[in-house]
Amino acid sequence: MADGAGSLQRVQGVAAPPHRISPRVGNAATAALLFVALPLLTSHAMPRLLQQHDYLNLDVGVALAVAAVSLNLLLGYAGQISLGHAGLLASGAFASGIATSRWHLPMALGMLFGVVVAAAVSFVVGLPALRLRGLYLAIVTVIFGLVMQYSVLEGSFFSSGSAGVTLPRGIDNATYLVVCLLLLLLVWVIDVNIVRTRLGRAFRTVRENEAVAQSFGINVTRYKLLAFVVSGAMAGLAGAMFGHAILHVNNEKPFDLSLSLTLVILVIVGGAGRRLAVIIAALIFWLLPSFISGLHAWAYVLGAVGLMLTVSRHPEGIADLLSHQRRPAVGAGDDDDDELPALPQLPVPDRPVTVDALRSDNLLEVEDVVVRFGGLQAVDHASLVVPAGKIIGLIGPNGAGKSTLFNAVSGLVRIDAGRIRYRGREIQSLRSDERARLGIARSFQQVGLAKDLSVRDNFLLAQHQLAPYGDIEALLMLPRAARTEREFATRTDQAIEALGFQQLADMPVRNLSGGQQRIVEIACLLMTAPDLVMLDEPSAGMAPAAAENLAARLRDLRDALGRTVLLIEHNVPLVLDTCDYVYVLDAGRLIAQGEPRDISADQKVIDAYFGAAVSA
Amino acid sequence: MQAIVLGLIGGSIYALIAAGITLVYKASRVLNFAQAEVGTLSLYATWWVTVKHHQPWIVGALASIGVAVAIGLLFERVIIRPMLSASRVTVAVATIGLFSLMVAIELALFAGTIYILPPPIAHGGVKIAGVFVSSSQWLALGVVAVVAVGLALFLRFTDFGLAVQASADDPVAAQLMGTPRGRISAFTWGMSGALSAVAVLLIEPTVGVLAPGAFAGLFIGGLTAALVGGLTSLPGAFVGGLLVGIAEAEVKAHITINAIPSFQTTAMLVIVLAVLLLRPQGLLGRRA
Repeated sequence: MADGAGSLQRVQGVAAPPHRISPRVGNAATAALLFVALPLLTSHAMPRLLQQHDYLNLDVGVALAVAAVSLNLLLGYAGQISLGHAGLLASGAFASGIATSRWHLPMALGMLFGVVVAAAVSFVVGLPALRLRGLYLAIVTVIFGLVMQYSVLEGSFFSSGSAGVTLPRGIDNATYLVVCLLLLLLVWVIDVNIVRTRLGRAFRTVRENEAVAQSFGINVTRYKLLAFVVSGAMAGLAGAMFGHAILHVNNEKPFDLSLSLTLVILVIVGGAGRRLAVIIAALIFWLLPSFISGLHAWAYVLGAVGLMLTVSRHPEGIADLLSHQRRPAVGAGDDDDDELPALPQLPVPDRPVTVDALRSDNLLEVEDVVVRFGGLQAVDHASLVVPAGKIIGLIGPNGAGKSTLFNAVSGLVRIDAGRIRYRGREIQSLRSDERARLGIARSFQQVGLAKDLSVRDNFLLAQHQLAPYGDIEALLMLPRAARTEREFATRTDQAIEALGFQQLADMPVRNLSGGQQRIVEIACLLMTAPDLVMLDEPSAGMAPAAAENLAARLRDLRDALGRTVLLIEHNVPLVLDTCDYVYVLDAGRLIAQGEPRDISADQKVIDAYFGAAVSA
Repeated sequence: MQAIVLGLIGGSIYALIAAGITLVYKASRVLNFAQAEVGTLSLYATWWVTVKHHQPWIVGALASIGVAVAIGLLFERVIIRPMLSASRVTVAVATIGLFSLMVAIELALFAGTIYILPPPIAHGGVKIAGVFVSSSQWLALGVVAVVAVGLALFLRFTDFGLAVQASADDPVAAQLMGTPRGRISAFTWGMSGALSAVAVLLIEPTVGVLAPGAFAGLFIGGLTAALVGGLTSLPGAFVGGLLVGIAEAEVKAHITINAIPSFQTTAMLVIVLAVLLLRPQGLLGRRA
């Protein structure tokens, strides 16, 4: 293992700044100690306090909490609906039951088998999510749940008819409760790690805006499926915990459609994406009725009314009631602050991935590219070259096809003919996120950030492609993941400080003024360590004074930071002032190109902008 | 042939549920989980009027429709209207709440007793294609046809109907053009209640008894029909209802596979899955 010495150093590196890691580890250790000690002490000191059915209720309540965390990951973070989650729980329970009762494996291995099976099943359930969304996806997952219930699990291999599967556990009640509590703690820690690493940021960004996610190098397909797999693994664990608690499951109980719906209700009532509130909602939902015996029929009527009123009056969930965290005020729209600071002040990271050496003098070559939308030829045999270390302008009237050409280069639209070469290598068949990872960064006219995330999270998101750690490392927060995230956090703090945005750091980007959003966007682009920076109307939404300051910043990009810039801009003085070379597009065709001073005098360009009649 | 006739009758009732689901979905992009259950609870009003107070069936039917419309309007006013900007999943959870409320009231008030309703028309019937079609079933076909045509005419030829359609297409633009968003929302939910009541009234003679959750299959059939129709098209909902009814009857009549239990349910699910994956916009819907 060549990596051994390195990882040892990393462990020591982790210990160096103790203020970030240890409180978390400390809290988890305290919780673990409590979870072990309390049930065991209770069962020994006061053996009559908890009866058999109390243990059963507690076990099931904890299993339900794990299931709710699992759905919260999928629905709250990744924004993917599952109305068939009970089917995943059933997979875990049946797998663990078969492993323990028929193959006589120990319960721990049975549960592990349940986790693996459910994760695999969830992968398959996630495949339609690549095509469908919203209600359509919801229906497919409902069908999955029903098919599991009525066809698969009713089959003779799984159920021996409707007799079901037995789940032995071989440990006493108190010990099993300890096991369940520790597993809840494990799932909690993994969920925290997801939120704190690039996994959680990728999930949330894919949920909000797939194009933006791709522009930061996130493979949308991969992360959607990953959300399903991780959620499925947790659901499988929950199912196995549930099964070993009630000792016997069949295709009718307890993993039916109403359990799936209950889980969705728990996540929404708790607050999508709010882990603690969702767990509390699950525990209250299960434990309250089961400890108040003989609930009157009208209590269920009240419960239903309560549910409707809760979601109607608190659509974001009851999490807001639980936390004291005040909503930050709407962003200070002070346009005097709209100036981009000198870019060399930003802590721009180095690009770690080895990119092929430049095979041509030009960083980007667009050759004879055609893009059609139905009958419309949006880009009509356009060609341009972007030499390394230059600022190249792309101008033209509205609807000329400039942004479409941008989208073609960054991979958001497919080209119908032509070639696009980056560093001399053809990239037109690569996905958008693959092109981003080669070092092509782009901005969007509508600001390409995850606007529901905070400024800080967007800076962390921007560093997505620089993270060297894998998914397992992230889930378990292994040393390399922890160290990388600390680096990212430090760099983010520096960047926010350089922008002077400390006050805005934890505010959703949506609440910032247009000019502030633009500044954060450009700073985030640099955080991806790009070679080619494509800016789509960066001065749009900026105050005039700030737009003037933009010219100096563009030259910073080229001269101080050594980046190459492709610029779409309507602010013609800005283009003439900063660009080394300018291309003019009209109705999808290139009508002129040249040095800025030649372009400003070109009759064809004047005609395109002002109409031929004016010049005639 | 027999299956087709039976399927048309069952399917036409599915179509009513599908129309309710489609109407609500078009207006608010939400699946109403309570679409069949509102009518089920309301049917107890019919029992109360016809059996307990010996009024004619039609009076009882009107009572049921009235109750269902009231439930729809109340739900819209108290629960749905404050949720204009809430996520659609949250609104769907509210309709699950309505479903639970309906079931909870049924259980609290009516559990333990079997309620039997008189059929709308006690005698008569005609044999066609070797199948006996009772008067009640003829009534069902007739009512569904009238509702389908009436709804289509209303939406196409009245100002309010056009406003409903415009609002479904683009709520913001429609509101800027002066359509009353609140009244449209109220209309949608009131109408969905009425459609639910009519569907349950018509299918009750086939099921025979009135009990909590007796018409769960109606919701599944109606949802399948709405999906086949494309969720956004009312004609699609009616065509989808008939197709689903016929398909279900054919499967029941001809195919039983012992190796796969509950094959009929599975077959229905496979149809939906195929439609969703191959043609998500349904037969007559438009791509969102």
